[in-house]
Amino acid sequence: MPRSGEIDYRQVNLVFTCLFLFLVFCSASLPALAQQKATEPQVLAPGWSELEFEPPEAGSYRLPPMGMAGDGNVLDSSGQATTLHSLMGDKVVVMSFIYSSCSDANGCPLATHVLERLQNQLMKDPGKGNGVRFISLSFDPGQDTPEVMQRYGRPYISGDFDWHFLTTSGKSELEPVLKSYGQTIVRDPNVTGEEAGNISHVLRVFLIDRRMQIRNIFSASYLHADSMLNDIRTLQMETALQGPGDVKQGYEHSNYQTQAQSLKNRRGKSMELWSYSEQPPLGLPPIPVPGDNPLSTEKIELGRLLFFDRRLSHNNTFSCAMCHVPEQGFASNELATAVGIEGRTVRRNSPTIYNVAYLENLFHDGRESTLEQQIWGPLLARNEMGNPSVGRVIEQINAIPEYRERFQTAFAGRPVSMETVGMALASYERVLVSANSPFDRWYYGGEKDALSATEQAGFRLFNGKARCSSCHQISSEWALFTDNQMHNTGIGYQRSMLQTPKETRVQIAPGEHITVRSDVVEDASEPLPNDLGLYEITESPNDRWKYRTPTLRNVALTAPYMHNGSISTLREVIDFYDRGGINNELLDPLLQPLRLSDEESRQLLAFLQALTGDNVDALVADAFAVPVGNTGAD
Amino acid sequence: MKITLSRILQRKAGLLFLSLSLALAAGFSMPLIADETCMSPYMAKITGQEDFVYVWTLGAEGVGDEQDKLVTVDVNPASPNYGKVVHTLSVGGRNEAHHSGFTDDRHYLWAGGLDTSKIFIFDVHSDPARPTLHKTIDDFVKTSGGVVGPHTTYALPGRMMLTGLSNDKDHGGRTALVEYTNSGDYVATHWMPTDEDLGGAVKSGNFADGYGYDVRALPRRNVMITSSFTGWNNYMANLGKVMGDAEAMKRFGNTVVVWDLHSRKPKKVFDVPGAPLEIRCAWGPHNDYCFTTTALTSKIWLIYEDDEGEWQAKAVADIGDAAKIPLPVDISISADDSLLWIDTWNDGKARLFDISDPFKPVQIQETKIGAQINMASQSWDGKRIYFTSSLLANWDKVEAPEGEDLQYFKSYTWDGAKLNHEFSIDFVAENLGLPHQMRFGAYSLYGKSNPLVSSPESTSSGLSGGQ
Repeated sequence: MPRSGEIDYRQVNLVFTCLFLFLVFCSASLPALAQQKATEPQVLAPGWSELEFEPPEAGSYRLPPMGMAGDGNVLDSSGQATTLHSLMGDKVVVMSFIYSSCSDANGCPLATHVLERLQNQLMKDPGKGNGVRFISLSFDPGQDTPEVMQRYGRPYISGDFDWHFLTTSGKSELEPVLKSYGQTIVRDPNVTGEEAGNISHVLRVFLIDRRMQIRNIFSASYLHADSMLNDIRTLQMETALQGPGDVKQGYEHSNYQTQAQSLKNRRGKSMELWSYSEQPPLGLPPIPVPGDNPLSTEKIELGRLLFFDRRLSHNNTFSCAMCHVPEQGFASNELATAVGIEGRTVRRNSPTIYNVAYLENLFHDGRESTLEQQIWGPLLARNEMGNPSVGRVIEQINAIPEYRERFQTAFAGRPVSMETVGMALASYERVLVSANSPFDRWYYGGEKDALSATEQAGFRLFNGKARCSSCHQISSEWALFTDNQMHNTGIGYQRSMLQTPKETRVQIAPGEHITVRSDVVEDASEPLPNDLGLYEITESPNDRWKYRTPTLRNVALTAPYMHNGSISTLREVIDFYDRGGINNELLDPLLQPLRLSDEESRQLLAFLQALTGDNVDALVADAFAVPVGNTGAD
Repeated sequence: MKITLSRILQRKAGLLFLSLSLALAAGFSMPLIADETCMSPYMAKITGQEDFVYVWTLGAEGVGDEQDKLVTVDVNPASPNYGKVVHTLSVGGRNEAHHSGFTDDRHYLWAGGLDTSKIFIFDVHSDPARPTLHKTIDDFVKTSGGVVGPHTTYALPGRMMLTGLSNDKDHGGRTALVEYTNSGDYVATHWMPTDEDLGGAVKSGNFADGYGYDVRALPRRNVMITSSFTGWNNYMANLGKVMGDAEAMKRFGNTVVVWDLHSRKPKKVFDVPGAPLEIRCAWGPHNDYCFTTTALTSKIWLIYEDDEGEWQAKAVADIGDAAKIPLPVDISISADDSLLWIDTWNDGKARLFDISDPFKPVQIQETKIGAQINMASQSWDGKRIYFTSSLLANWDKVEAPEGEDLQYFKSYTWDGAKLNHEFSIDFVAENLGLPHQMRFGAYSLYGKSNPLVSSPESTSSGLSGGQ
């Protein structure tokens, strides 16, 4: 027996089957539905009728993340195998669990009806709901074959709206999915006693953002197209700041749709960065500041202008921000390895500037020790900003009257010099601190619910079986997620020592790949310069292919990964470490095969995705507000 | 949509009319009609023999003075300097010299640099044999609101429409069209439609990427058409590196946009996957279609107005074998809309397609021109065609197989069955650089005659053109 206050869906099934059939087949109007409502003892869920209140205005509220949306192997309605995660990440996803023979009017039919209404409202937008995808996944794989799902779904899909009716190949594939979404089902026995009758379940519809985080969960009494529409818009407003403006997630698949943002509308809002020097976000220690370069608002603001000024390169085409793009995690999501002035090849991936203040060794090979010195590396590198000399950079800055004044003010009368340019840029970079992530609020802030059970399980693996924290260290007071040491994982060794495959797979359009003989690629290419890591600095043979441990804070924003950007996704990084790296005589002994189960890898992934600081939007908005320095009269 | 018989007849009638009108305007005798066929319909035309080809040339490290230059080649067979470089004008720096285009009066040649975003405006009318640098626009990025990589410089009445390739925020592919007056004053920026801001356009498929490349207009249909390539991060990088970088390969354009020419509003965004590049519109007065080719997927696409007046896009033919990455680059349409030259960069071939049925292009001929090939410019009568080799500084091949030319300007004649080589200039051996786009020059456009040529038959004659 159901507990008081709960609806026993099994008992009301028969009544609602009739009502539902009436609704579906006679296209009952809403007033007719209201009449039924008046005479029935059980109330129909609000999703069937007009919302009785004005939903809160889109963007006027926040939907805090509730943990990662689970993955799983599914079949699309044409029978093709795919995964849930391959249908997430590029769009806001609304996901419901249904089964085609479900007849409970406050169950699956409600979910599908509300989604249909939502679809029709989205289709009225100028973008025709392009940024949204619906997933209706069956939890009855026995009955719901791909063909059945196709027949079931077809009448609901309006035009080319992106709505997927999925199923699984069987119980063993379905169960982990149900578990990760907290869906428990009870199957009624049929007359012969087999588990084949109705399925009782608590209706849940999930709203999932572009970072695959669950942002809202709707059940029968809460599910309504109008409020969901505003939730979707709320997510779309916030995602405008995070992630590249030219979204390529899902580009591997032929159903890829663009989600390009307007550059004209790329506007920001300045923030007071200096306050971080007094109080860094939760989870970080005080910002280390050298005695001879104390932080000041004037220096930070000057450094910020310089950071976005393309006139700081030899031919006025490159600022620091061209490789450290704010909305791309202050790194570059668009390139595995960076491209410098005149298109010159850079060997390594652009590292993030977030939390760079805490690094003891700068650059992937750790060759520089202070930010003040480090900034001259890219300014003078022939294949980065390409300036021919220190003097030339200083002349260039001095030629801009605003800078002459700002340097005088920020440095108490001191002019533009090698030292003050370094101090100004270092001051801005130093305050790009980001933490107070769900992990920090859970671990350091005592918020028990800040991490989901899956993320917490991921944290236990991080510290335990997966051994991540050996290098990506955390302490009882704060976490830098780096040991500031250099390690050999085999990635560099592989590039230097192993043969390249004879063929390369090259993507030529969304969902379209060709296999090309590697010599075709090599013919069109200067050979990629070799990379020996720390050895290039120390010339000690034991330092071959060692690179700095990067922080994991905001790691979800900084794909692709590793010092050469050779791994595209975090899941593939986990798989790489699960295999124990790439064997070589200098492989760090900390790397061993981990034998993680698929579920453990997913938990670990969920944890890594819970390391995104809560001030990312604010820092990106602050960066957007900075004018890009270009040649021309003001 | 099908091209109906009546439409074909209309087209043929149109061709006849075009030939007649050109003949009439040139003084009642059928002239040697000559001009490249890929120019703006608003532009003044040359009849007779062109005197010069202006080659916008990239500077290359280790080659001569290492900087971009405008190279003037004498191409008049009656001239004592025929086949020779008669003038070079270095502009300073390597700007990734790429495309160039005349103002509608053909007095000035605008030449863009995809890297530095500088625009060099050359005076070609005061002395067509010796162009001078009239003005340099070096604040294009700032003035346009962040557009990087001025590519096509396309003549509209009294103004130039420039396409961008990138932007100063992420060096990716989202970009805009930028409009200037003929005198070089900024007019407006028109951003390519994106999902977030379609600008009133209909997104007809899955993509509205906001990328840009070429622009062409069909004034009588009030239509402007743009294509899409890739951003600075890719077009400046080494090609082998781009192909080996999975992330970079996701950043190519997949769209063609049809615009309202008069209002400059985007009307419809088409899915044309695999980097559609050059656009060439038919000349026949009833041929309401344009061609483009996709660099990565190696296809010819037709952008056409159907019987209901709706614009459509359709893949109509393959170009070579996509798996060998032939990389179709420049295309050149014949004045009678029957033939389309397509250069495939990677195999160095000029391929000729019969496009008399625009829905069924058929390759009828191919000729190996060099180790690589990029631009093609043909005379209006289709009898002369010139080729250059360079695509992008860091995409160009660095070595050629024995016996194949790497960086060249080549002159051919077309006899209706095959290409006949006339002369070549090795741009590296001549210490010039990497030759890119070609534009034709002639004394006749400015009421002058070629001082080095006495025979009147070999002299060009001018004709005001345009619609």
